[in-house]
Amino acid sequence: MSEITEVPHGDLLVMLRHAPHGGLWLREALDLALVGAAFGQSVSLLLMGDGVWALLQGQGPGPLGQKGSHSTFEMLEMYDIERLYIDSDSLEERGLIRDDLLLPVIEVPTSELSTVLAGHRQIFNF
Amino acid sequence: MLLHLLNRAPSSSSVHQDVLRAMGEEDALMLIEDGVFGAVSAQVQHFPGLEGRLFALREDLESRGLAGRCDARVIIVDMDGFVALTEDAQRTVSWF
Amino acid sequence: MATTQATRYITVEDREIGLDPEGFVVDMTAWTPAVAEALAAEEGRELTPEHWEVLEVLRAFYARYENAPAMRPLVKAVSQALGPDKGRSLHLMRLFPDSPAKVGARLAGLPKPTNCL
Repeated sequence: MSEITEVPHGDLLVMLRHAPHGGLWLREALDLALVGAAFGQSVSLLLMGDGVWALLQGQGPGPLGQKGSHSTFEMLEMYDIERLYIDSDSLEERGLIRDDLLLPVIEVPTSELSTVLAGHRQIFNF
Repeated sequence: MLLHLLNRAPSSSSVHQDVLRAMGEEDALMLIEDGVFGAVSAQVQHFPGLEGRLFALREDLESRGLAGRCDARVIIVDMDGFVALTEDAQRTVSWF
Repeated sequence: MATTQATRYITVEDREIGLDPEGFVVDMTAWTPAVAEALAAEEGRELTPEHWEVLEVLRAFYARYENAPAMRPLVKAVSQALGPDKGRSLHLMRLFPDSPAKVGARLAGLPKPTNCL
């Protein structure tokens, strides 16, 4: 866990704004991030809004056995996707703290979010 | 400058709050499709601090009968203006 | 990847193992080492201990992350498990010519890697 210590940068920024299990947005976003990384792009993720629920610890499969996304998040480091930015306010509004999360993240105050967007060559919003 | 595109009404979705958080001081916001419901005077307070950087697409206002109800703080542009704005922007980011 | 319909079967130790159109085992729980041997034999490959240690890395990867790896993460996983000498594209290409991630996943009884084109 850390605060922003360097200027955000990368080829691809994938923004995750949807919670897990409710639809395919999160899955699609992660697939795009993995494909980008598999092709050698430097990929960052930004979680905001309900997207922050995706990093909550203790998730499991859906009632019909649908695969969750938590194991895919854990796999990101194998694809060298190591910059996970997260909007501090979105966490706070949902009563979440850093220790509730699966992975180390870089907390971004709302006033700094625009620098994360500006630091990437391409932005994909999910 | 990034050009943000919003196609949801502030009265039915909270995504406009995410857009506002992510916008830099130079960034512009273009309301399209159902996003133009946010351009009427009774709703435009959802977009504070964007004077001169808040746009709405004429074609989408007209098709919804909103042409005469668009707040004076919103700059109306037609499709050509929209294209010109995207050319000015380094990147566009769609919000939905 | 969603489980697909079997379009053909191979017989391994008196059991019918269903394969999808690309030769991936449809029911992961049906996989045994003998299935890997049979799939390899079909393609004229012979599995040595060096192949098997990579197949084990692949199965461990899937068990942990619920996804089969593309090439880059496979290289990284092999490097972590078997050391940097083996965690090289060259070594994997030599063991599993064509496409190590895809061929390896098939022999290991995993679904096709989702992000491997």
